[in-house]
Amino acid sequence: MNIYRQIVGMISTLCGWVAAGMIVVSVAITCQMIFVRAILNESTIWQTEAVVYLMISATLLGLPYVQKLRGHVNVDLLPMILPPSARKSLVLFTLFASIVVIGVMVFYGYEQWYEAFRRNWKSDTVWGVRLWIPYAALPIGFGLFLLQLSADFLAVATDHEDAASLGASE
Amino acid sequence: MDPLLLGAIVAILTILVLFSGVSVATGLLIIAAGFLVVFDGLRSLELMPEILFGKLDNFALLSIPMFIIMGASIASTRAGADLYEALDRWLTRVPGGLVISNLGACALFAAMSGSSPATCAAIGKMGIPEMRKRGYPDGVAAGSIAAGGTLGILIPPSVTMIVYGIATETSIGRLFLAGVVPGFLLVALFMAWSLYDTWRNGSEMTLRSRSFSLRERLEVLPRVVPFLLIILGVLVAMYGGYATPSETAAVGALLCLGVAIITYKLWNPQLLWVVLRDSTRESVMILFIIAAAGVFSYMLSSLFITQSIAEWIGTLDVNRWVLMGFINLFLLIAGFFLPPVAVILMAAPILLPIVVSAGFDPYWFAVILTINMEIGLISPPVGLNLYVINGIAPDIPLKTILKGSLPFVACMVIAIVILCIFPGLVTGLPNLLMGPAV
Repeated sequence: MNIYRQIVGMISTLCGWVAAGMIVVSVAITCQMIFVRAILNESTIWQTEAVVYLMISATLLGLPYVQKLRGHVNVDLLPMILPPSARKSLVLFTLFASIVVIGVMVFYGYEQWYEAFRRNWKSDTVWGVRLWIPYAALPIGFGLFLLQLSADFLAVATDHEDAASLGASE
Repeated sequence: MDPLLLGAIVAILTILVLFSGVSVATGLLIIAAGFLVVFDGLRSLELMPEILFGKLDNFALLSIPMFIIMGASIASTRAGADLYEALDRWLTRVPGGLVISNLGACALFAAMSGSSPATCAAIGKMGIPEMRKRGYPDGVAAGSIAAGGTLGILIPPSVTMIVYGIATETSIGRLFLAGVVPGFLLVALFMAWSLYDTWRNGSEMTLRSRSFSLRERLEVLPRVVPFLLIILGVLVAMYGGYATPSETAAVGALLCLGVAIITYKLWNPQLLWVVLRDSTRESVMILFIIAAAGVFSYMLSSLFITQSIAEWIGTLDVNRWVLMGFINLFLLIAGFFLPPVAVILMAAPILLPIVVSAGFDPYWFAVILTINMEIGLISPPVGLNLYVINGIAPDIPLKTILKGSLPFVACMVIAIVILCIFPGLVTGLPNLLMGPAV
């Protein structure tokens, strides 16, 4: 149990590093784009699209890490006023509902990626990015988010974590 | 089913789900998925990832992580303390200089960081103990910082304004400008109340300040001026038409990180990681809410709820100010419980067509909405800034902080009334600098 949580936690932390790296690379590419356009007076082709896809990927890959840090904002007013046993049941129920809906996102996110890959969809720009590359962030990001949610569910269910510690309140 | 009745059911279930403690973004996805399955069938779920991806596929959104990095690199350094010290030394001759400089520091730090809790924490850590040491009442010391911190979401650059701009497809540059005069108005009202309250409590001595030599005043400047120049540069680049908000934010982020590394010796990888970690956490959280709210809006629109509510309100024969009163009340209550970003994303796309058809300016409405959200930040039950102050000054009871914050809530309500009577205070500056809105 603990090993599972530790491994999932490590994967989520790795995702956080990757997401932070993607944001830093976006800053660098945007600055390069301004330099090329304003100083060198040349047109830019790939930069805008690249930074948008990097930002989307950083968001999706960052989901498990932010869940691990309890950084997804919530309203914990009701759970906090409930007695511990009722709070635990409510937290388990909300985690289960989250797992179901994120599971749906993983499944259809994979379908979306597979269609883009199979039909070799490309973006409607000069750069013409093969869309399966950015779409891969959907099943991967949500899949890893699902893993972190499952680890949190198990931690609360087996009393390894207090239900009150889950969630970053508003 | 009648779309209006359906709308009421969606509203009640959304409140229930969000109050269950589930994260706001996931909660919106749960509600959207549930109603799509019930009314459009299981296959309608296959659109959810595509809509979510499409919502994020917007270059303007890049300004959010960029401005957050800018804010985090300032908030992770001693910049807040330095800014506080600089203003204290320069405003020393002004009566009640300390509370004035605290609120001024809050406004400036808010402009640099764009974050309310970061402003509270950075200025409060220095300002609250100093004010108490010099005899200011605890309520004024805590309340002024809690209220001053809320300016972060109004004074540009503001992440909340960016989110409003994206949700309603209005100009982010114009929104930033619209927040400037109301920001100063709030600062002035906050200062007026703080001085009056201090004087009323018979603490005239505290209104007299100590003096600093010119050398003492000049020595703090080198650490503060670079950040102020960056903020000024960002605003000039944006309004001079040299670059879009996202592009200027990226340059601002790079420069702020650079200054933090050089001036505040932030080259230690661990310290730098803290900045990047906090920025990533905040950015991912906000962007996920934006994406999930996009799926939620799609559900509302595909079930004709959004259109029906707009039509229904259009048929009501009510005075437009009564309508605005109800909208304000709704926003105020929503702001008591939900983070500003979530309220804006859920409410703005539905409310804006109604507000515009009632003859109100969308930029003016953005400011009114933001001030409502500011009230939520210092009001129970989940006023974030109250808890931040409680964290940095644990010996001041939460009740005192709350009591000290209430007059500032009144200041914000007065500001809303003033802006309703004189809407030109909001629209004047953007119209002057950017021409009338199309």
